[in-house]
Amino acid sequence: MSIKVYLVDDHRLFLSGVKAELAEEFRIVGSAYDVDTAIEEIRGYRPDVVLIDVHMPDGGGIAVVEGVAETNPDVKFLALSVSDQAEDVIAMIRAGARGYVTKTIEPEDLSDAIRRIHAGDAVFSPRLAGFVLDAFAGAIPTDDDPELDQLTSREKDVLRLIARGFAYKQVARKLNISIKTVETHVSSALRKLQLSNRHELARWASKRRIV
Amino acid sequence: MRFAAVGGIIPIVKPASEARFLQPHRRMTNRVIAGVAGGIADTLGVRDGYVRAAFVTLMTIWGIGGVIYLLFWIATFDRVEDRAMDPVESSRAAGLGLAFIGLLSLLGAVGLWPNGVLVLTAGALSFGTAAVTDPSSPGPLAALINPGVKRVSKIRLALGGVLLVAGIVMFSTAIGQIFEFAMVFLAVFLTGLGIFIAFGPWVRRLITDLSAERGERIRQEERAEVAAHLHDSVLQTLALIQRTDDPQRMAILARHQESELRDWLYGTAPLDGADLVSTALRQAAARVEEDFQIPVDVVTVGDYPVEDRTRALVGAASEAMVNAAKHSGVDRMSLFLEVEDDSLDVIVTDQGTGFEPDAVPADRKGISESIRSRVERVGGTVEIESELGEGTEVILRLGL
Repeated sequence: MSIKVYLVDDHRLFLSGVKAELAEEFRIVGSAYDVDTAIEEIRGYRPDVVLIDVHMPDGGGIAVVEGVAETNPDVKFLALSVSDQAEDVIAMIRAGARGYVTKTIEPEDLSDAIRRIHAGDAVFSPRLAGFVLDAFAGAIPTDDDPELDQLTSREKDVLRLIARGFAYKQVARKLNISIKTVETHVSSALRKLQLSNRHELARWASKRRIV
Repeated sequence: MRFAAVGGIIPIVKPASEARFLQPHRRMTNRVIAGVAGGIADTLGVRDGYVRAAFVTLMTIWGIGGVIYLLFWIATFDRVEDRAMDPVESSRAAGLGLAFIGLLSLLGAVGLWPNGVLVLTAGALSFGTAAVTDPSSPGPLAALINPGVKRVSKIRLALGGVLLVAGIVMFSTAIGQIFEFAMVFLAVFLTGLGIFIAFGPWVRRLITDLSAERGERIRQEERAEVAAHLHDSVLQTLALIQRTDDPQRMAILARHQESELRDWLYGTAPLDGADLVSTALRQAAARVEEDFQIPVDVVTVGDYPVEDRTRALVGAASEAMVNAAKHSGVDRMSLFLEVEDDSLDVIVTDQGTGFEPDAVPADRKGISESIRSRVERVGGTVEIESELGEGTEVILRLGL
């Protein structure tokens, strides 16, 4: 049974383009170009994966992710955006998105990302990997959970290779580990980002206003 | 309002109506000694040069100018904020003026009237200099010719002129006489009153008009700059995109324009004047994209200022990108910068044909040597990893 995908983007032309590209492989259950419709329909249709734009009127992608998470925590989100502003991207991930890719992504890579998200993995674009490394670079361990805020050196190695444009398979080969292990490292980096100290991240984001 | 349309993007200049008389103060900027003269000039709304000239002139009268300067210095405060002058303060200023006149008459009464020729000469010279050299605004004559400046009422101008002439005549007759101070006092008083009535409001209006004009000019210049930039960049790129059929080329034009527009909007350094390594690398990547039509994915972690050593690394990275664009046969490459506490890494990665490092053709060896020597000269290291069919990595590292 094919994966049920829902699309949210306020740019209608882009929306129809993505729909056409994904229609062969996935079951597109619906699409919306505003926040309220998106929340309502996602609750109703219960898709497996939602492709969501970051910048939209009325709260943007974050509002949708947060709105759906209350009622349907099992719906997975993949952020798809032209934005490369660190705050936007990190905010989406912190709201609960499982990955972030830019709109310049090749169609087959996008399909791959959707499958990966559906399988429970995280999807990092090179840029997101860079943001995450940057976010943790200056992080000072906090008192409540010092371990949680740090990336292990292996996780950093993995993120660096992703930031340099290597696919998971190539990362695995370069580090002599299995693809599954690469996925584990990426997921755990994502989890650390989602759970890390809000204050540190806010400071980091404001420091890097210009990306 | 004419420029309301651009008010949203361009900072609003202080409206002219807010310019007003200020409480006496010492000016903190644009001052010669302690800012006393500047403060008085601000308070009265006259040009600095005239107040300074008055002090110079008064200095020739037994140094009264210096005494007054010191008194003002003691009595006033450094300017903290703009505040409108309230009636109490105006009457205080009037009292101060009367006290000064009283002092003069007292000196006259005891027979200490100074050398009139010296005073006149000093006054004429210093005021003349001030009128000619003040660069901040055109002289009264220029303003009179300029039709944009509002006319002073003729009655007021005539009254002030008559008083002025009378004062000067009376003052002249008083010169050479050591007594008759009442006459001199009256002359001085009438002269001052005349000048104030005739020119005070006019000078003030002239100044406020000038600041309004300056504000509008700034807005127009900013708008012109925005228009010029959009024309040179965005519109040109859109025109190019309309003419091209090649999607790859289209994408590169769009990418290039996007990054340039972002730089411009978010105020990063202008092209070629980068002060951060990340910006310099982005610019180098943009040039490669443009020259070779191959997208470069730039990811940066941390940042560092551009100085001699890092500039060498940026140059070497640029060489490496050109190298990859020419020889690897890829349709995209990536550039990665990571700055840590003690090291700065720049890595150029392509996933193209690669090469056998041992069997490098002479021309490629030359290029990689130029990368190597450049970086090693500033104390960095270069690692080039390549395998046939597996792409190439150029790793530039600098200890910090």
